[in-house]
Amino acid sequence: MSEARIPVGRVLRASNRGFTVGCRVMQPDIPAFGSFVRADARAPEGAIYGLIYDVTIQDDLFVRRFVMVEPPEEVVRDQRENRQVPIEVSILAVGYRVGDHIVHGIPPQPPVTMDYLYPCTPDEIVDFTRRFDYFRLVLNAPGVPADELLATSLLAAAAARPAEERTDFLVEAGRELTRLLANDLIRLDNLLRRIRTAVGLQEV
Amino acid sequence: MTLRLNRLTLPVERMAEVLATREEDFARRMREARAWRRAYADRGATLREVAREANAAIPTEEPLDTVVPLPPIPERFTVIGADGSTIPPDRHGAALYYVINIGSLVYRHGSGETPEAHSIPHLGYTEEELFEGTTLVSGNLLDVRRDQAEVNHLAELVEQEPEGPTLALVDGTLLLWVLENLPLDTRKKKVQRYLDALTRVQKGKAAVAGFISRPRHAEVSRLLLLAHLDGNTEKVQEAERGRLPLPDRVIFADLPPGGRSALFTSPSSINHTYYEPAGHEVWFFYVNVAAEEEDPVIARIEVPVWVARSPDLLSLVHAGVVAQSRIAGGYPYALARADELAYISGPERQRLQEMVETALLRAGLMPSPSPKAFYKSMTRSGRRW
Repeated sequence: MSEARIPVGRVLRASNRGFTVGCRVMQPDIPAFGSFVRADARAPEGAIYGLIYDVTIQDDLFVRRFVMVEPPEEVVRDQRENRQVPIEVSILAVGYRVGDHIVHGIPPQPPVTMDYLYPCTPDEIVDFTRRFDYFRLVLNAPGVPADELLATSLLAAAAARPAEERTDFLVEAGRELTRLLANDLIRLDNLLRRIRTAVGLQEV
Repeated sequence: MTLRLNRLTLPVERMAEVLATREEDFARRMREARAWRRAYADRGATLREVAREANAAIPTEEPLDTVVPLPPIPERFTVIGADGSTIPPDRHGAALYYVINIGSLVYRHGSGETPEAHSIPHLGYTEEELFEGTTLVSGNLLDVRRDQAEVNHLAELVEQEPEGPTLALVDGTLLLWVLENLPLDTRKKKVQRYLDALTRVQKGKAAVAGFISRPRHAEVSRLLLLAHLDGNTEKVQEAERGRLPLPDRVIFADLPPGGRSALFTSPSSINHTYYEPAGHEVWFFYVNVAAEEEDPVIARIEVPVWVARSPDLLSLVHAGVVAQSRIAGGYPYALARADELAYISGPERQRLQEMVETALLRAGLMPSPSPKAFYKSMTRSGRRW
């Protein structure tokens, strides 16, 4: 797929359930927790969708020498702009697209090493979040801060919509969560609070 | 596990004991050498000829116990560091080639600008590049090409640099180490090419210096012994027999932070034979690059005579190496980064090898490592117990 937007980075390692990309520290669009991203799938016109759940700046012995002292501006700029110290961005796979059809689920194939990863456009986010079948994948994902991730991604999905549609979208999402977490009221309450607080809603 | 560490326990213990005894001996000889440095401070002129014969540091006009404090560090100046690394030709590999990778950093002090980082690889694969006569270019021959590429790159960067105080730094000695078993004419040509690059730096009005970290040289140490033994070289040889020479850096560990020692001329024969006639005779001094109230870090700095004789350029080298070394602690920042930019990691070597193999296949050739390389790849890739 052709893409005018600046890629987040390139895939370092991947599995069907998720993948990790490396990118340089001074990326103009710093990838953020909870963002929707897309990698090209092996099938023509296919794509894999995911949510960023961890951003790690790798440890570096050379940088350690400078963090305790006040280095000159030239050193700070050199370390940030010239050195190949990647940040690692971990992504949970939540769906894929075959042609025009979007599926919420684990993609049949992971992306390949060195593939580019792009931030999703608002239209892509809206398309992907017309349904909520991916909630279960996030809520059951091991080793992922699932509740925070889901809440943050829902707010990103609401922000991708026109202002007048946002409340209805979040209310629908809340209903789906209520259905999924009917047996875990504490967790449900926490998730709904996160969404309510962020958008200033009194009741969902 | 093939290295049987349990068999090395006793030798390691014994080695530690020997090193501890040597330290005591060094401490005693260090006190002597410092006393001689004071006592014979003004004997430099009378020692010059005999020092050259004895391969000892050759005194200059400066008294032997000279200490020059850190000059003011200029507000704006440029330091260019360059370094190189190589992948030697592998007779057992799929193809015969070598790589020289030159890294450099242009650091403009006081500018607030992002330093310029360069990394320039060269792949040598033609027969003309791979062989000198019938000898495959590896070992010293490849090292000389790397050193030549480093200094050429430095000269290019100096020529591109706008006017202003500029210091070009190489890691290690300025004296090109060319094996003596090469034909005289070949040696001369190699050294001449290196000297031509130094001339370009000189014409670019920059200073150039070689920074030697933790130097092992013992040339000043021998000079002081020579002074103490009335210039008798036979007695010096007798005194040195059977014991490790006292490194100069131990003697100069009493330099104040930022201070430098007297200037000396390198007694190396290549210096006398090639560098001196070309106007690039190598002089050197020791400097304590540590910050105030920190343990001394002694480095040896080599400069061509035209830098040593220019108060402005010498002061720039002195202040520049100290300012650079204090950024990262004990070693010039520009050289540390140049090394990083030149370094070829294991995975990069592997990737290059894969690229070469793919290219060979595309060109209709079947890449075939030697049986030895094939078995090494098998025995060294898995786990061993």
